[in-house]
Amino acid sequence: MKLAFALAAATIFGTGAYLLLHRDLVRVVLGVVLISQAAVLTLIASGLTRGAAPIYPLTERDVSDPLSQGMALTAIVIGLAVTALLLVLVLRVVQAFESREIDDVAEDEAAHDALLEQLHAREHEDEEAAAR
Amino acid sequence: MTALTLALVIPWAGGTVLVLLDGRRRLVGWLAVLMLAANLGALVVLATQVLPEGTVEATTGNWPAGVGITLRADALGVLFALLSSLALLAATVHEVLDGVRERVFPGLVVMLAAGLTGVFLTGDVFDFYVFFELSMTAAYILATYGGTRRELGAALVFTTVNLLGTFIFLLSVAGLYHVTGTLDMAQAAARVADVDPNAAILIAVGFFAAFSVKLGLFPFHFWLPTVYTGARPAVAAILSGGLANIGAYGMLRFGGELLPDELALASTALIVIGCASILYGGLLAVSRRTSSEMLAYSAIGQVGYVLVAIGVGGQVGFAAAILYTVVNALNKILLFLTVDMRGAIVGAVFALGALSVAGVPPAAGFVGKLELFRAAIDSPAVLVLFVLGSALSFVYVFQIYQFDFWRGERTGALSSRSQQSLVAVVALVVLAMGLWPEPLLALSHDAAEVLARAAG
Repeated sequence: MKLAFALAAATIFGTGAYLLLHRDLVRVVLGVVLISQAAVLTLIASGLTRGAAPIYPLTERDVSDPLSQGMALTAIVIGLAVTALLLVLVLRVVQAFESREIDDVAEDEAAHDALLEQLHAREHEDEEAAAR
Repeated sequence: MTALTLALVIPWAGGTVLVLLDGRRRLVGWLAVLMLAANLGALVVLATQVLPEGTVEATTGNWPAGVGITLRADALGVLFALLSSLALLAATVHEVLDGVRERVFPGLVVMLAAGLTGVFLTGDVFDFYVFFELSMTAAYILATYGGTRRELGAALVFTTVNLLGTFIFLLSVAGLYHVTGTLDMAQAAARVADVDPNAAILIAVGFFAAFSVKLGLFPFHFWLPTVYTGARPAVAAILSGGLANIGAYGMLRFGGELLPDELALASTALIVIGCASILYGGLLAVSRRTSSEMLAYSAIGQVGYVLVAIGVGGQVGFAAAILYTVVNALNKILLFLTVDMRGAIVGAVFALGALSVAGVPPAAGFVGKLELFRAAIDSPAVLVLFVLGSALSFVYVFQIYQFDFWRGERTGALSSRSQQSLVAVVALVVLAMGLWPEPLLALSHDAAEVLARAAG
């Protein structure tokens, strides 16, 4: 059972990492979602025990581990919240750049840096000319 | 115990209310400042209890001990909580004086304070993750503050990379729970010695990767320059002076206390990565022309020193790492806040921050560097690198000082007098710590003792 969980988590994580490397921002979000699911699966697998439902007062001796279930639930809720946040962020980026390719975002930044560089170079030349 | 609960509840409840209000109104901004000050006050009271008497503990929700989540304040946690709270307070006052531009800013900073306080004062590994994610989520939204293309692009990179980091952290938490069967930090530290070393190393590597991303160490740094230069100065100060402390704290807490054997095993690797960070950050910072870019690369270099000190280990090494984290955070707050400012005393303030980064007396950076040299005294190669790194930092900060203040390349409106006095106050703190370092030294040694005791 542990092996099955490990394999499933590894496959999901791998798929997520592959999607994360894509240019398309929506695929990047999907990659993050998949990686969060891999983490949830690992949390469940970390406390795999067979037993009765852990409801207080305990009637049976062997109860399944409630902690890993609690952690998994918390992680799912947090995962949902950050996914929503990430989607809104992507939406705002798409509106601002009118593109959903990460390359366009990077290009914009590179253009900004080049402009700064040019500005400084021109100032420097002016100063040198003045000195001469 | 009351102070411990209050330090957490004030910003948590306050932040929830403030997020609903319009933060662009002056009153709301000052309300946020008041809440951050109250948080800082509660932490100071807590520190006066923790430092003479030792750890203060509380179990949430009146559960019996061992069932409920434990909050635990020791010297290490309180010191980091104080530092982060101070960083947020300074940055918020700076932004409120300038006029807040987005309605959620004050509320989110207060929420971030709640998250950071929780991270530093919890005694439970999963609770650490929850507070970690709470502070990160607030920071993701703060990174978009300003709302132009530049900030949005930076925020997107910041969010994606750091989400990956937190999920790797979560995977390691699951692994730690699986091998020790507990989430309580003290219990886990006691049981981890009997764990299969292979499993423990794997878990330790996961924690290391997660916190390195947060710190922006050399191979994990790629997101950092975009974000620190793209974000507004107050946000950059919050990220580098407040949020990045999680990385150093996590390394110390999870490496020094929970997995001390694995930390000792990785000692050489940590020193090598730290030295690579120092060189990379220093060399790239020298080639930059604007202060925000220089500071971003300088941040990569400066955390390298912290990592080397952690790699050296032992009480001396941990104390140096803690002290340098404090000094570095103060430098970064001071310098990032002055990035867009102009005025009569801004140049002097920048020069003081620059002296502190370079490690020249009388600024606090000198004390930090001195402790680092003391920690690394046994390895000449590291000492040479430290000297080289310090020389590089001296060059890059004063190069920018020359460009900005002697040539007058810094343009823009004159900053208001109140903003100038704020950065002057922060500068005085940096100066005071350099002139009278005794309290800070004692604090960092107390904090390192917590780790040394846990490691046995």
